[in-house]
Amino acid sequence: MAEHLHITPIGNDGIYCLDTASWRVYRPVMDKEKCVDCGICLAYCPVNAIIGTSDKKYEITYDYCKGCGICANECKKGAITMVPEGSGK
Amino acid sequence: MSYIDVLREAKDVVTPGMSACQGCGGELILRTVLQVSGKNTIVGIPPGCMAGAGVVGWNYANGLEIPVHIPLLDNTASFLTGVSQMYERKGRTDVNIVAVAGDGATADCGFQSLSAAAERNEKMLYVCYDNEGYMNTGYQRSSTTSRGSRTSTTPIGSVINGKQQHQKYLPLIMSMHGLEYCATASPSHMADLVAKVQKGLAASKKGFAYLHVFSPCPTGWAYKSEKAIEVARKAVASNVFPLWEMDENGYKLTENKNPISVAEFVQGIGKFKNLTPEVIESIQKVADARYETLRKLSAK
Amino acid sequence: MGKKVVLTGNYSASEAAALCRPDLIAAYPITPQSSVVEYLAGMVHNGKIDANLVQVESEHSACSVVQGAVAAGGRVFTATSAQGLALMYEPYFRMSTLRFPMVMALATREMTSPETVWSGQQDAMSVREAGWIQVYCDGNQEIVDMVIQGYKIAENEKVLLPVNVCYDGFYSSHLTEGVDLPLQEEVDRFLPAVHFNHCVLDPEKPFALDPLTPGPLMMKYRKSHLDAMEAALTVIEEVDKEFGDQFGRYYGGAISEYRTEDADVVILTIGGMTGTGMDAVDLAREQGIKAGLVKIRFARPFPAKRIAKALAGKKAFAVIDRSVSFGWSTGPMYMETRAALTDVDDKFAHFSAIGGLGGADISLDRMLGTIKKLDTVKNEPGQKETQWYMTD
Repeated sequence: MAEHLHITPIGNDGIYCLDTASWRVYRPVMDKEKCVDCGICLAYCPVNAIIGTSDKKYEITYDYCKGCGICANECKKGAITMVPEGSGK
Repeated sequence: MSYIDVLREAKDVVTPGMSACQGCGGELILRTVLQVSGKNTIVGIPPGCMAGAGVVGWNYANGLEIPVHIPLLDNTASFLTGVSQMYERKGRTDVNIVAVAGDGATADCGFQSLSAAAERNEKMLYVCYDNEGYMNTGYQRSSTTSRGSRTSTTPIGSVINGKQQHQKYLPLIMSMHGLEYCATASPSHMADLVAKVQKGLAASKKGFAYLHVFSPCPTGWAYKSEKAIEVARKAVASNVFPLWEMDENGYKLTENKNPISVAEFVQGIGKFKNLTPEVIESIQKVADARYETLRKLSAK
Repeated sequence: MGKKVVLTGNYSASEAAALCRPDLIAAYPITPQSSVVEYLAGMVHNGKIDANLVQVESEHSACSVVQGAVAAGGRVFTATSAQGLALMYEPYFRMSTLRFPMVMALATREMTSPETVWSGQQDAMSVREAGWIQVYCDGNQEIVDMVIQGYKIAENEKVLLPVNVCYDGFYSSHLTEGVDLPLQEEVDRFLPAVHFNHCVLDPEKPFALDPLTPGPLMMKYRKSHLDAMEAALTVIEEVDKEFGDQFGRYYGGAISEYRTEDADVVILTIGGMTGTGMDAVDLAREQGIKAGLVKIRFARPFPAKRIAKALAGKKAFAVIDRSVSFGWSTGPMYMETRAALTDVDDKFAHFSAIGGLGGADISLDRMLGTIKKLDTVKNEPGQKETQWYMTD
C-alpha cells in the first residue's frame, strides 16, 4: 500500500471489488451442444461474466456472475438454463 | 468488426464486482461504453446508481482501471469542460473525455450545466443512462419518469395515482443545442448502441456528443431481472423509446413501422400496474406524436 | 520596478490574474464583480494573454469548470460576489476539501434580503467554514499584490488550498487608484509555473479522484486540511517577506498594525474601512487618546496568536465588522477576536461595532466615536453594548 498523505482523496491502491457471486441464487449453465456461438449472451451480460474463448466460443464464468438470468432469457437457442445454487446440478 | 467481436475483444475497465442490482441496465451500459472508449479515457460519474455501486472507488481503491471522478450531482458537464479544455491545451486530444450520468444528474438538477456545456459545444461524450428516476436513493420520480409510474415520491394513493405528468423528452431537447452528435440507444439493440458510442466518441473530438440510453431497472420498475433486455426491447418496439440519431447530416430515425402498443409494453411491469386505460391511452398518444415528430425531422 | 497605472479594484484583480499566467478563466457576470471577468475576456480576445476563457451559465458552473481544469493540472482564476458565491457554494466547498489550489477574487457584497447589490462582507463571512483561505484588501495595490501572492500561498506544498482575495464591492471594486503593476518577468520570477501534481487526472496514472470515503478516513483528511490552514499562517508570513523583498511592498502578513505600540485602545478593522480607521486613529491621537489599529488581513486562517499579541497589554478594543453574526448580536470578527483572547478576555473593555451594511457608509466620525467610547470605558473591563453605525 502506498504511503497516504491525506491531501486530496485519491484511490490508487488497486481495484475495489465485491464478491458479487455470493448474491447468486440461480446459476446459468450453458449446454454446449445447443450453443451456436452467436455471442448474444456476452453482449447482454451486465457483469461481463461471459467471456470469449480462444476457439471463438463462449464460456460462463462464475467469480462475479450475479445470477440475473438475462443470458438464459435472451439465448435464442435455449442453450442456457438457470439452476438453483446448491442443487447439485 | 461485428459489435460482438468489439465487445469480445475490448478490455473491461470496470471492477468485476460492483454492487449494481442483478440485471442492471446501468452496469451493462457503463461497461459497454467504457469498453468501447478504452483505457485512454477520463470519466466523470456523478452520484447515482453507478457511483453508489462503487465504480468511483472506495477508501484508497479505484473502481475502474481508468481515471474517474465523482463530480457533483449537478456539475458533471461543467467539471468535464475544465478537464477537456485543459487536455486540449496540453495537446492531449487523444484522451476521451466521457460522462456517464443518470437521468437525475442529466435532466433535472444537472440540466443547467449540461445545456450550457452543450451550447458551448465542449468536447466530450456525455452518456445518460435513463432509468426514469432516482433509483440509487430508492426510486423517486424524476422529470424523465413516464406518466402513471409508481415511484417513492409518486406513490399509488387513494387520491393520486402515480406520476401525473408525462416525461420530459430530453434527447430531442439536447439535439436542439447544435451538437456535433446526438442519439438515443438501448442496450437491447446492442449493435446500434456500440456503433453510436463509437460515433459519439469520434464526434467528441470536434464538439459535444450526447447519447441518451434507455436503462432497464428491474428493482425500481419491479420486474424480474432476467426481463431487463426484454423490457428495453419492448420500449423501443412500442415507440416509447424510439431510436434515432442526429449528426451533421440531420436527423435519422430507425423506422418502426409495426409498433407494439403501449398497453403491451407496460404489461408485467410493476411500476405500471395501476395504470388506468385513460392513462395508457394518453401515453400512447404521446408516443405516437413523438414518433411522428421524429419521422418528420428525419424526412429528407 | 513595475509600471505605474491607474486602475479600478476590479481591473487590478484582472491585471494581476493575467500576470499569473492562468490556463483557464471562468467568466460569469454579477455586480459588483462583472468587470473583473469582462476585462480578462478582453485580454483573451485581443491575444494579450494565452488562457482558455469559458463563458459559463452560472457561478455554480464557474467554480465547476475551474475545478475540472485544476483536476487536469491547470492554474485557474474566476471572480464572484454575494449571490454568485452562494450559488457556487457546492463546488466552492469541494474546491477546498479536494485541496485544489486557485485564486478567486471576491468583490464583497451584502447578501439578499433585503434586495441589494451594494457593499458588505456578509457573503465572504458566511463561507468562513468552507475551507478556503480568505484575505481582505483595502486598496487596489493590495488587490494586485494579493492575487499574485495568493497563487504562491495556494500552491505551496504545505498549503494546497484555494485563496479568496476579498475586497469591498464598489468601494474598492469600482474606485480607481494609482497602482504599481509588476512586470511579467518579475511575476514569473516570483511565481513558478504550476508544479502541484497531487490530484491530476491522467490515463497514464489512473486513480479515482475522491472515492467514497468512510468516516475514520474522512477524519484524517479533515485534520490534514486544518493542519494545512495552520501551516498557511507561517507560509503567509514567508510569502509576505519574499514578496516584499522583491517588490518592496510588505503588508505585515496575516495582520498589520498601525500606531499600536503605545496604544491603550485599539480598533480592529477588516477590508476597505481600514484607511478611514487609520485617519480616525490619527485624529484621536491629536485629541490625546492613545489609539491604535489592527487590520485583520486574513480571516482564514484566523491569526489568533498574532491578534492576541498585538492586543497584549492594551486596555480596550472594538472590532468593526461590515457584516453580522446572527445569534450573537455582534459582528463575526468581533466574536473571533474574543475567541483569540479566551484567556484574557475579561481583562479588556471591548465591544462590537457594525457598520457599512448594504453599501452604507462607515464614516470617519463614526470610527472616531468608537475610539472615544473605548477611551471612556477603557478602565471598566467586560463586554459593552454593540455599536450600530446607523446613518439616518
